[in-house]
Order: sequence, then C-alpha cells, then structure tokens
Amino acid sequence: MEMEIQGYQVQTDFFEGPLDLLLHLIRKNKMKIVEIRLSQITAEYLAYLESKKGINPSRESDFLMTAATLIYIKSRSLLPKPENPAEESPEKQLIHTLIEYEKIQKISKMLQDMEYTELLLWRRLETGENFTNREYELKEVSAFQLAEIFFDIVKKKENEQFLYISSKNYSIAEKQEEILILLGKNGFIDFSDYMAKLDSIEEILVSFFTLLEMIKRHLLIAVQEQLFGTISIYSNQAGKLDN
Amino acid sequence: MNPEQITRQIALIEAILFVSKEPVEPGRIMEFLEIKDIEEFEKLLAAMEKEHLGDRPERGLLLKRSGGGLQLVTKPDLHDELKVFFTIKQSTKLTIASLETLSIIAYRQPATLAEISDMRGVNSTGPVKSLLQKKLIRITGRKKVPGLPALYATTQEFLIYFGLNDMTELPSLEELTELFEEKEQPSLFK
Repeated sequence: MEMEIQGYQVQTDFFEGPLDLLLHLIRKNKMKIVEIRLSQITAEYLAYLESKKGINPSRESDFLMTAATLIYIKSRSLLPKPENPAEESPEKQLIHTLIEYEKIQKISKMLQDMEYTELLLWRRLETGENFTNREYELKEVSAFQLAEIFFDIVKKKENEQFLYISSKNYSIAEKQEEILILLGKNGFIDFSDYMAKLDSIEEILVSFFTLLEMIKRHLLIAVQEQLFGTISIYSNQAGKLDN
Repeated sequence: MNPEQITRQIALIEAILFVSKEPVEPGRIMEFLEIKDIEEFEKLLAAMEKEHLGDRPERGLLLKRSGGGLQLVTKPDLHDELKVFFTIKQSTKLTIASLETLSIIAYRQPATLAEISDMRGVNSTGPVKSLLQKKLIRITGRKKVPGLPALYATTQEFLIYFGLNDMTELPSLEELTELFEEKEQPSLFK
C-alpha cells in the first residue's frame, strides 16, 4: 500500500498544472483540503513559481492565473467583509475545484492501473492483408471523419510542387454537376482517391464543401466500409444504407 | 448436447475469435451456433477457458471480454518475452495529462474542451487532440452554447483499451469515494 501511495508522487519536480501543485503543497503540509490554510499555501505556491525558471509558456499562464486567484483570496481575507453567505466566495470555489481535481487524480490512477494490466495482454496485430470479401458492413461516417481525411489530403497536396498556369474559378454548382455525373458513371466515389486527383488546393476546397453540402441535403451519403477503411460516397436516391 | 457437439462448438468459437481482429459480440456467436440460452453459452465459454485455453499452462492465450465482445489475447505472464521477440522496447502508455482528460470525459461525457480545461486547471487542447488521434475519444456533436464547442465522449476503443466490457463496469463516483477512503486509511498509520 505504501508503495502505491508513493508511486503516484513520482513527479515531485513536474506538476500537471496549478491544481496538481496546490494539492501537492496541501499534502506536504498535511492539511485537509477543506481546512486549507491559504496564506501558507500561497507563500509556498509563489516560492515555487519563482524558483521555477522556464516552465512551458503555454502552461505558465495557467499557473499564473491560479497565483492571481490565491493573492486575490488572501487580499479579500484581510479586508473587513460584509456578511453575505449566499455569495460564492473565490475561496469556496477554489476548494471545490481542488476536491473535484483530487477525484480526477484518483480516477486517473485507477485508469493507469487498468492500462497497465491491459498492456500485458496482446491482441491480434494489425495486419494489412484483408481477406474478407467486399460484403462489408457499411457504416455511415460523420462530417468529422470526412474532415480528418480532407486535412490529410490537403497536407499532402501542400507538399507537391505546382506549376501554376492560370487560375480557374470553381463553383459549387459546377462541382455538384460534376459529382453527379461521376456518380452516374461509376456508381460511387472513393473519397480519398477523388480528392487526391484534384488539381489544386482551391479545387479540393470547393469539392469538399460541395460534398459536405450535398451530404447535408441528403443528396449523397458517405459510408465507411470498416474501421480505418476508405470512405465511399454514394448517391442517396438509391437510398439504402444497408442492402 | 453430446460431448462431440460441445467439442465442435468450442473449436468453432476458438476459430472465429482467432480470425477476428476485434472483439466479437457474444450474440453473434450464439446465433451462429444456434444457442438460445445465455447460460448454456456461458457454460460453454467457461469449459473452453478451463479445459482448453486460459487455465491450461501449455496454452499462450486466454479468453477475454472487452468492449462488449469476446477476444483471444495472450497471457499476461508472456508479456516480457513477447516484447523481446517483437523487439518492442517500451509499450507506449498514456501520459498523466491524457489520463486526467480521459477521467473527466469518462465520468461526465459528453464534455467540452473548456469544461475539461477548467476541471484540470490547465489548457487541455494537447491531450484532447492526442486522445482523438488514438480514437479513445470522439466528437459526438456540439454543445448549444455560444461558440458551439465540440462535445467529447469515450469510444469503444476506450473500453477495449482499458479492458472494460461496458461503461457500467467503471465504478460509480460513490463507489470510488469508498474505494479511495479505504485506500487512504492505511496512510494514517505510517
């Protein structure tokens, strides 16, 4: 049991955030969260921030925010205050946040233990070969998944060298015609293939918005044949998702 | 059912699970084997595990339930040697930041980035992004508040990753409090 308790405090020098640091100081001083002596904690908290040079700047702001709150609470406590128990004092709020955060830490610890146990069990490795026939279970995909693939393709396109001859203007109406014709011919469109074949970022953008618009108006339907599989676009008048 | 039939069914279950990359729903196997009674099926699984798989020291696999399905996985005590064979140095584990973020999402899903950052006291864009990439969380929609922030929830991969069958297997907040209190008492006697 002792081992376990120490196990979580490995990060003596590195804190996940201001709340983590505060909890550490509270534990160090053997206080209870509800009976926290803020003046003492504030001093130690600020001492830590001063001693620490070069925290990750994006995190530093969060630490400073809490420092400001601590100082604010301290200054409030020095002033005579009108009795107003209904008011949510910043002190109460902070204590509440700390209690909640302590729970989160404990849940994290539980998840970490579960992860440890599970990592000992090996599952089938993801092998590329796929020997099932093409009767996949079709799953409708969300716009978020489409967007994910879209950004991948744009990234790839960005790395390609283009020779610009003239810029052409694309319109959603034209694209829609083109997509419908293509669907009429082939029956479906492979989303990644289709996007990858387009000439320029502009065309990709217009095509993507056209597709999104058409899916939104239920003219098209986007389905994914299996997890991590390619996404295909079908015309929705044939209508059936599962045939 | 006669013993021959039982043997045949166990063999079939094993074969199905061997081929499947993802956990297989027990219902599908039951339907396929024309087993109507869940208890009968459970008995079959228990016999399989006891006489032919997990409980047999010469077998490297065991039967595992996760993400609402059945799966064959390797036994935990083989882990170290498997790592050597497949030349894997260190299994990648989630960072504390990711675990904290997941804890919040798991217990109050769907949650927005702002709610997560608020509860952790730190901006949590990074961990949310990496959890999305790992497919442990997904966007379920948008909250109807100004800015329409994305709402995040855990996925089936989350269940599989942590060896859970479904979300109800996570202890409730009340159970957790009890659990923690028990855990913490010994520290008083240190």
